[in-house]
Amino acid sequence: MLYAAQETIQIDFAHRQSAHCESGVCSNLLYHYGLSISEALAFGIGSGMFFGYLPFIRINKLPLTTYRCEVGGIFKRVAKRLGCRVHWQTFRNPDKAMDALDRQLSLGIPVACRTGGYWLPYFPPAFRFHFNMHNLVVIGKEGDDYLISDPVFPDPERCSRFDLMKARFAKGALAPKGTMYYMEEAPQEVDLVPAARKGIREVCRRMLSTPGPLMGIRGIRYLSGQVRKWPKKLGQDRALLYVGQLIRMQEELGTGGAGFRFMYGAFLQEAAGVLSIPRLVNLSKVMTGVGDRWRKFAVLGGRLCKGRASADDTYDAMAALLLECADGETEVYQELLELTR
Amino acid sequence: MVVELNLEDFTPEEIDNDELIFGGRFDLDSIDALEIVYQVEQNFGIPMKEMNEARAAFQSINTLAAFIEARLQG
Repeated sequence: MLYAAQETIQIDFAHRQSAHCESGVCSNLLYHYGLSISEALAFGIGSGMFFGYLPFIRINKLPLTTYRCEVGGIFKRVAKRLGCRVHWQTFRNPDKAMDALDRQLSLGIPVACRTGGYWLPYFPPAFRFHFNMHNLVVIGKEGDDYLISDPVFPDPERCSRFDLMKARFAKGALAPKGTMYYMEEAPQEVDLVPAARKGIREVCRRMLSTPGPLMGIRGIRYLSGQVRKWPKKLGQDRALLYVGQLIRMQEELGTGGAGFRFMYGAFLQEAAGVLSIPRLVNLSKVMTGVGDRWRKFAVLGGRLCKGRASADDTYDAMAALLLECADGETEVYQELLELTR
Repeated sequence: MVVELNLEDFTPEEIDNDELIFGGRFDLDSIDALEIVYQVEQNFGIPMKEMNEARAAFQSINTLAAFIEARLQG
């Protein structure tokens, strides 16, 4: 250990609650370095929007569905597009990972970590499940406790060294392996126009043109076909497990996966001003409508899982909603490509 | 809430309006939260897209009612 357990470090870091952890961490870290970028803008510039149904990757022995880009991708792209230099590091040894964290804290540098949220003791039990993609910022230390700016919580939290270490080295799919990252250099001023344009075009290309049937718009349509087949193919019990996994993956508290679509809608509204393209305001509304369809899809799935489905809440109805989502998103991305040409 | 969330062990009269909706005795989770969000939108026409406000509103029946009243008046 490099630092005494009793050491107290408290970085003057503005904790701001956000809807999603990685874009929230990104926005808060940039704000710390004098760049006022909203969470939605960070999400859009970082091309956070995506869809992938990846049955060959298993979380809790069930297929992974992702409604966003790869973990860490948002921050990496935002940093690159805004000209920030970021240090990324993974570790094999948990003690060395904690020592490296302590070293940066002692220099007054807030450090973001990727964790398995299940192991963070301040997570309410009702919202704890194994998912190794939760981002937070460590902003200080008091004795054996770390001070945490976890963007999905209203106030800063505390976490013991033991628990944080366990969360940083959570086992299973997409294990975080102690991943930590922090800003080495940030510009004083940034040009948002090329950053927003690149962010939009990358999302459109990925959603419209990713090869193979599992990702982008084609992935949504493929999943629709799968959902329709699940009750016969898997049997009722296993089909319900698949549905439960599908909607839990969508996002936490109430967003029902629609969360990312709502956030992208907010981004497009902001981008209309940044890029001076008023038409983006209309596309923002279309994307928000798509978010409503995603949310309805999750509500139906929830009712099936919880045994409170009505006659209309069926696998076929869920599949039909997915096709509506695919149609709505296609319309948005195709027009965005035209508008940002 | 009792009907839509299928809370078979409770009647509305048994629920204290200041009682915790999540983390208390109802054994609700994020899937139930989603249903509440949806019902608020369907029954009162109040969209809940900002999850920060949804989290604050979901403390108890009273906080949820206050949220709905404020939004209906605003």
